[in-house]
Amino acid sequence: MGIQINMAILVLIARCCVLFTVLVLTIYAIRHYWMGFSRLKLRNPKDMNELVGFMMPRITVMVPMHNEEKVAADVLQALVDCDYDWSRLQIIAINDRSTDGTRAIVDRYAEKYPIIQPLHRDSGQGGKPAALIDATQMATGEIILLFDADYIPGRAMLKMLAAPFADIEVGAVMGRVVPHNVGGSLLAGLLSLERAAGYQSAQQSRFNNGFTAQFGGTVGGVRMSALRAIGGWDASSLTEDTDLTFRLLLNGWRVAYVNRAECYEEVPISWLVRRRQLVRWVTGHTECLHKYWPRILAANFLSRMEKIDALLLLAMYLTAPVMVLGWLASLVLFFVESAHEVPILAIAMGFVGYQLFANQATFMEIGVACMLDGSRERMLLMPLNILNFFASTGAICNALMRFYWRKLWGNDGPGWDKTKRTREPGAGGPENGNGLRIVGRTSNGLYFSQKAGEE
Amino acid sequence: MLAFLLFSLIFSLIYYMHFHVAVTTWRRLRGQASGELDTSYVRLEDYFGQSFRAKMKSWLQLPKDPASTELLSMVDKGGEKIFIARQANYPISHEEEEMLVVDGDFLCGSHCSFNKELLVRQDCVVGPSSELQALAVDGTARLNPGTKVRRWVDSHGFLDIRGNCKIQSRATSRASIRFGPGSQAQSLFAPEVATQGRREDKSKWGTNGHRVVELPVPADDAAIEGFNPRKMVYMGGGCYRYDGSLKLDAAVHITKPLIVRGDFHCAASSFIEADMKVSGSVFIGDASIVKANLVSEGDMILSHAVFFQGILHSSGSMRLRHGVRGLREGVPVAAHANGPLLVESNCVINGKLSSTKFVQAVVTPVDWFESENSKSV
Repeated sequence: MGIQINMAILVLIARCCVLFTVLVLTIYAIRHYWMGFSRLKLRNPKDMNELVGFMMPRITVMVPMHNEEKVAADVLQALVDCDYDWSRLQIIAINDRSTDGTRAIVDRYAEKYPIIQPLHRDSGQGGKPAALIDATQMATGEIILLFDADYIPGRAMLKMLAAPFADIEVGAVMGRVVPHNVGGSLLAGLLSLERAAGYQSAQQSRFNNGFTAQFGGTVGGVRMSALRAIGGWDASSLTEDTDLTFRLLLNGWRVAYVNRAECYEEVPISWLVRRRQLVRWVTGHTECLHKYWPRILAANFLSRMEKIDALLLLAMYLTAPVMVLGWLASLVLFFVESAHEVPILAIAMGFVGYQLFANQATFMEIGVACMLDGSRERMLLMPLNILNFFASTGAICNALMRFYWRKLWGNDGPGWDKTKRTREPGAGGPENGNGLRIVGRTSNGLYFSQKAGEE
Repeated sequence: MLAFLLFSLIFSLIYYMHFHVAVTTWRRLRGQASGELDTSYVRLEDYFGQSFRAKMKSWLQLPKDPASTELLSMVDKGGEKIFIARQANYPISHEEEEMLVVDGDFLCGSHCSFNKELLVRQDCVVGPSSELQALAVDGTARLNPGTKVRRWVDSHGFLDIRGNCKIQSRATSRASIRFGPGSQAQSLFAPEVATQGRREDKSKWGTNGHRVVELPVPADDAAIEGFNPRKMVYMGGGCYRYDGSLKLDAAVHITKPLIVRGDFHCAASSFIEADMKVSGSVFIGDASIVKANLVSEGDMILSHAVFFQGILHSSGSMRLRHGVRGLREGVPVAAHANGPLLVESNCVINGKLSSTKFVQAVVTPVDWFESENSKSV
């Protein structure tokens, strides 16, 4: 009798877990389907591209670098080659306690180009936010633009990112990152799908529909006055970009998204590097959720839909443990007598779970992004995304477990972990075109291919 | 049992194919770099003209056809021919199917049709109701009334677009553009774009002793009709937000960046000194000055003789009324609307007018009144 009661309670709990999982995943699936369809519906995205070149504020470009000798020269060369008026441009190359040849490269470029100002950090707190705090004190621009050292901005990039700041409500701007090492490994190929879905579909769709886009901390910029108003960079945050997005939102500013401001990045090619990257993102993101959810709910200037969208965005990594919980509950139900009563729930969970492969990039969104990008061949890689899905789910669950464990016992969190670079020196940059200068894209005739120095 | 086995077999086959295609694709893609970006792209307003001239330069290096004469030579660029003429003077209703380069002046009668691009090295006059594919002119260009251009027009000299012309894409000039009444284009860019009836009136700017309301922080405690101080929120960084519509009967002086969550209307002789964002519609009263950027998510109207110096952007339609001026030093101004952008007479913009739909010069009763007045004078 006692065993029967215990089993009944277990079954009840398992059913509740499965129901909860299905509910959560269904909400996310609806959100992502809506984003995908809405992106397809509005193919001409909301943007300020027609104003590119007419909005020319004084800008400061910051490039934080820690042991970046492999890529430092490429990014600095690409920035000086940009078609922005030098009298309105300041580039701060931050050498953050590097032990390799980064210092020498920065000094060489600073000597050659007067618009580059070196900032050598030999002591103090490490990590990107701390470096940005120091660099902001040197900044003279009305707008700060950020590029990680492994990024290669195109010649029109600075003008494209400056244009949306014509709108005073825009506190920050985010461009699009495009992995260039898609053939480097299977993981890189799969991450390129994830990035395409995240930017071409999700970011653009959210921006089109009046929701704030997410600032990614690189290939983007922030308005100096807005940054000051929200208290500057948060050195304690692992994801200063997400933190900044929500501090801006809660103070009434928006983040604009510029899909055409495309910039190459290097995505991890090894699963270990990817796992570390995810741990940092998950921890920082979930920290932001805990920090800001009460303020999001209380913000009376945000609409109900904006609040829901913001909370779903912040809670997105929690879907991984919820899904694992649902699987475990399904297993329990499978092995008990009343299993026949729940297959519909199990199938539903499997279905919606399958739609949410890997870091929220649904099949639908990947498909939409590949279609809009004209890269239909890559779309065929989608079934292999199951590998990324399981690897990410594991890494996210692990990171969240550690996060809540630390929260419970008050231990220190993970430190800043720099993503490992694999590019060889000189393998990128607009001038050498080694594997990176690829022609064939048409941009409604508004842009044309012009080599540096050519009329 | 057989049914089960058959089902399992079909299912396994589909499942296998699912991954087989993916793995095959991956084998093909392995080792490749991304094929999407050209980091050397730059944005140019007169891209079409520049690109076409550059292509022409290389095509004209090709050997000339032996049948060429002194007056008309021909280059065959593989399936397509380019005719090169010293000068051209076509009669009415002439039709041309090939690409044409005219080293001298170009003139054509009415109802002509040029189905390929046209490059004119000197001045160009297109007859009324003609149709062109695209036109690049190194001198001045005149499109007579009713001309249709299926793509773009680019001119190094003065570009005169007479009444009721239609340019499907962009019109650009390195000198100036006159945009005739009833004409349409997707965008116009030149150091000076002017509509019909240009007249430099004596400046009307000034408040004539009327009250000017200072916002976001009023200069005094006196009540302002249409303004509720409790709705004004300081966002930090020198920027303010007004949670509601701001429809003022008085002239206004905006001294700090302001976001209005609603509509914004201000009276004549207002002065918008700092950037503004309006989530609703915008109406700027007569003879006001907009010194900064003005962005709205609704429709925008700049009333008579408004002077603007920054960027205007409207997610709805935009109307620039009679006498509007756009000018600033250093960087050209720009006005863009996602809906139709209507420009009345006597507007002069030093920069760009563009719309996701179309830019149209419209005729208003003011134009009629002025033209009648000038006749009587």
